[in-house]
Amino acid sequence: MTDVRDHLREWAMPHVLCPGCAHGIVLRSFLEAVDEQEIDRNRLAMVAGIGCSSRLVGYVDFCTLHGTHGRAPAFATGLKMARPELHVVVVTGDGDGLAIGANHLIHAARRNIDITVLLLNNSIYGMTGGQAAPTTPTGAVASTTPGGNTEPNFDACKLLIGAGASFVARVLAANPIEMTRVMVEGMTHSGFSFIEVVSDCPEYYGRYNGMGGGADMLTWMAGREVGVTGPLSSKRFVNHVPSSTAPPGMATGIIQREERPVFTGVHGEGSHGP
Amino acid sequence: MSDDSSGLLLAGVGGQGVILAGMIVADALVRAGHDVKQSEVHGMAQRGGSVFSHIRWGSSVDSPLVPLGSAEVLAAFEWAEALRWVEYVREGGAVVADLRTIVPPGSCTDRRSWSIRYPDIDPDLLGRRTLKTRIVDASSTAAELGNIRAANSVILGSVAAFLDIEHVHWEAAIERLVPAGTEAVNLTSFRAGCEVVEASIPPRPADPDGFPGPHEIDIRHEWCKGCDICSRVCPEYCLEVGIDGELALVDAEACTGCRLCELLCPDFAIAVSPPTENVSRGELVASAGDPP
Repeated sequence: MTDVRDHLREWAMPHVLCPGCAHGIVLRSFLEAVDEQEIDRNRLAMVAGIGCSSRLVGYVDFCTLHGTHGRAPAFATGLKMARPELHVVVVTGDGDGLAIGANHLIHAARRNIDITVLLLNNSIYGMTGGQAAPTTPTGAVASTTPGGNTEPNFDACKLLIGAGASFVARVLAANPIEMTRVMVEGMTHSGFSFIEVVSDCPEYYGRYNGMGGGADMLTWMAGREVGVTGPLSSKRFVNHVPSSTAPPGMATGIIQREERPVFTGVHGEGSHGP
Repeated sequence: MSDDSSGLLLAGVGGQGVILAGMIVADALVRAGHDVKQSEVHGMAQRGGSVFSHIRWGSSVDSPLVPLGSAEVLAAFEWAEALRWVEYVREGGAVVADLRTIVPPGSCTDRRSWSIRYPDIDPDLLGRRTLKTRIVDASSTAAELGNIRAANSVILGSVAAFLDIEHVHWEAAIERLVPAGTEAVNLTSFRAGCEVVEASIPPRPADPDGFPGPHEIDIRHEWCKGCDICSRVCPEYCLEVGIDGELALVDAEACTGCRLCELLCPDFAIAVSPPTENVSRGELVASAGDPP
């Protein structure tokens, strides 16, 4: 039996993430997905920007690229165009990908370039001290919204469907087996795949909002899961989240999957150039 | 209550059709001209509750409940249920028991070895020698006749052999009450049940020699941050985080290898590997301890 820890840069461990932060669970599930597909570690490139989630690429022994804040999809686009044979995976967070980097994200989706984006949504800016993010739910307390957030929050999956992503899914960090399955589906999808992973931030979001530690937040999360595809089933999927039955942010599964022409950066078919 | 009243008890587990069988018996008795009362409980036999149907008949019956030790016949649709309700049968009464065994989840004593605590199929366990017993293999008989779901009619046929009711009444009741389209197979099954020979009791399956030992849980303490997720998700309470934040493996033997701790550890601090060696059944039984 292989151990996913073989993919870690042991010298960099333990990672910087706080106790109870589910980002590590997401990384583990991703490594399981890599093992399941038997991807050669030299042909897998992980690209990240800035933020807690983006720290993850520092701990894996693949080809990794730590870029500038919010620009990971832009780096990844360039990388995929130059080296189309690589599996390119972007790890970004809700602040990185939906605030400063939202433009790069939606345009990568619009082009339908064949990369996979994992967006780890912990509903807050964790690394910089718990400020409200575009994903902080209305009413939630953050360091910049001590009386509760007065703004509505993004539904990242709806945003990406609107932008034209050909594969959109949402999974919970509390459900690692489903997470691995959806990651495999997303990585094997031809075109832009976007996977929102609902993660936690016990240190800021959990503490400010009285939600307890990591275990409490995972339990909370798991209790609010509304599957749109059915657990562990890759056969059935629906195109849109039924808004009347699914509470925002917690409808999980593969929400969108369609075949569209994949962007390669050149005219004509199959000519990637040298 | 008249002195000529008799009682019959049907027992099984949920979904077997005990209630319908009870209705058929009651209907047949009414057709035979008796005053009949029937009462039933249908609740979770597999989890310790009861699924049974009491039927009493005679020239005049006031209560449907069959008193302990007074039933003419006990028809058990499942072997353990026969043992459970046999005390209701009067001296010299009859027990019709199906060979079928449906092991309740609570009988599992060890999930690694699949050890179960379930009685042997042994007529001696029914206790009293004065009982007339008939052990049937209703499912096989019904399956041979074309529909395994007519098994209860085989049992009713066996019950009919112990009761003084004309078969025409039984058959009329079956025809009226069974699901439409299954009348023919139920009637043939009933007739087969009247004549069914004693089923041969299968030998107890041999116990396997050994079972996989416990899974091995490897903890990298230098990576663990004591976040408590693993100890909270472990269904067997194998792990514990002390007040000093140090993770400890407190019950390695209890691990069933579900890997929840490993999959949900954000710090890659836990690895669960499959057992490398077998243990004998004896060791497992010893480590499982006495039932509560």
